[in-house]
Amino acid sequence: MKKLLASFLSILALVFLAVPSVHAQNNVNLYLFWGDGCPHCAEEKAYLSQILPNYSNAKLNKFEIYFNQDNVRLMQEVSTKMDANASGVPFLIIGDQTFIGFSKGNTDNEIKNRIEYCTNNVCPDSVASIVKGEEVSENKDQKTSPDSSESKNMVNIPIIGKVNAASYSIPIITIVLGTIDGFNPCAMWTLLFLISLLLRFKDRKKMWLLGGVFIFASAFCYFLFMAAWLNLILFIGFVFWVRLSIGAVALIGGSYSVKKGIANKDGGCEVTGTEKRQATFNRLRGIVNKNNLVIAILGIAALAFAVNLVELICSAGLPAIFTQVLALNHLATWQYLGYIVLYIFFFMLDDIIIFVIAMTTLKMTGISTKYSRYSGIIGGILMIIIGLLLIFKPQLLMFG
Amino acid sequence: MKVLKFGAVWCPGCLIMRPRWEEIEKEYPWLETEYFEFDESKDAVNTYNIMDKLPVFIFLDKKGKEFLRLEGEISKNKLTELITSNKDK
Repeated sequence: MKKLLASFLSILALVFLAVPSVHAQNNVNLYLFWGDGCPHCAEEKAYLSQILPNYSNAKLNKFEIYFNQDNVRLMQEVSTKMDANASGVPFLIIGDQTFIGFSKGNTDNEIKNRIEYCTNNVCPDSVASIVKGEEVSENKDQKTSPDSSESKNMVNIPIIGKVNAASYSIPIITIVLGTIDGFNPCAMWTLLFLISLLLRFKDRKKMWLLGGVFIFASAFCYFLFMAAWLNLILFIGFVFWVRLSIGAVALIGGSYSVKKGIANKDGGCEVTGTEKRQATFNRLRGIVNKNNLVIAILGIAALAFAVNLVELICSAGLPAIFTQVLALNHLATWQYLGYIVLYIFFFMLDDIIIFVIAMTTLKMTGISTKYSRYSGIIGGILMIIIGLLLIFKPQLLMFG
Repeated sequence: MKVLKFGAVWCPGCLIMRPRWEEIEKEYPWLETEYFEFDESKDAVNTYNIMDKLPVFIFLDKKGKEFLRLEGEISKNKLTELITSNKDK
């Protein structure tokens, strides 16, 4: 009898001990904002499909934002409520915690830990009230090989061996677009005129200093513009129509460049904006002839800013397209800025070469307009390709 | 024969043409040329109707009448050929 009682008590104890653990399995709602064609989203979805069958209490709610404007608005609302500043996808919310982007080895562990935490503890479902009645979950099993995306990007180069093409794609695009943009003659005329003025000086130090300040200030102005544009794109770039608009700009700008390049067979320079040019030249003359070097430096820097801001309209197509490509790749801030600096270096390279040659040989030289023509045609074709990709296959521009 | 050259200091194509003309002028000392800076020679620019493109090279005969106009970057070979074939004009 004693044995029977002991057994009964043991079973009772087991039941009572077990009950709380069953009750601790809280329902966990996951809200995933994703884009059709975004590789990081695909990775995150595949990961969730892999782990969620282990959590019967977890429910995945998915919201596609590239092709669904309602979901974009929903994401903005959720982002604001969560104070998350979600500038891109994937954007996942579990309880009151958000996950922007996805990287294997980091985000996956964080997501798993969060699901487990919310399973065993009560997490506030912060966005339930907003997304109630919206798209519901569809937890499909999407099993992909974890290394499939990486292995398909591997290219075997003789001598060097296997390299990941994806990791070189952004630097190559940066260098190519920066160089092509550099051949754009829009802002070049001011530098050439400045050099012609500087060559009249016998003071080499002053020549180097004023020319250097002009080039640096031009680069800095371009950097500020591109960084601001990138921030804007990161803020609104995931909106479908923004990507479409930039794609359309790329198509129109690229077609115009190709048409212009083909038509301008003899090379040569277009004569436009004579009055504006004269006004700028008069200002430059006044600045360069100033005896006070500090005032001359400040004047040159201010003029470089003014000229480049005006001429941005002429060449904003490529930087805008480039920053859109950067934004699609969800990089760290330092990487974004690093690529912008790299772009600007190659953008300014022809200016630097012309300036250095002029200062060392004391003779003016120009880069043949036939190169501007070729770069216009090549750049135009590139713009058309990128434009088409932005509109129809943005995932091909995501190299991660 | 005389060649009028229209260019501008801000035009890379004009800068490319400068040394080409310097070489030609050395090789053909009899050739008369005159350079006009686009922004500083309004009269000549208007007279010869220089409008959309630079550099422009206008070939005049002995009577000062224009018989040839070239625009853009021209190769030295082409210029030499034109000069020698029109030497007596």
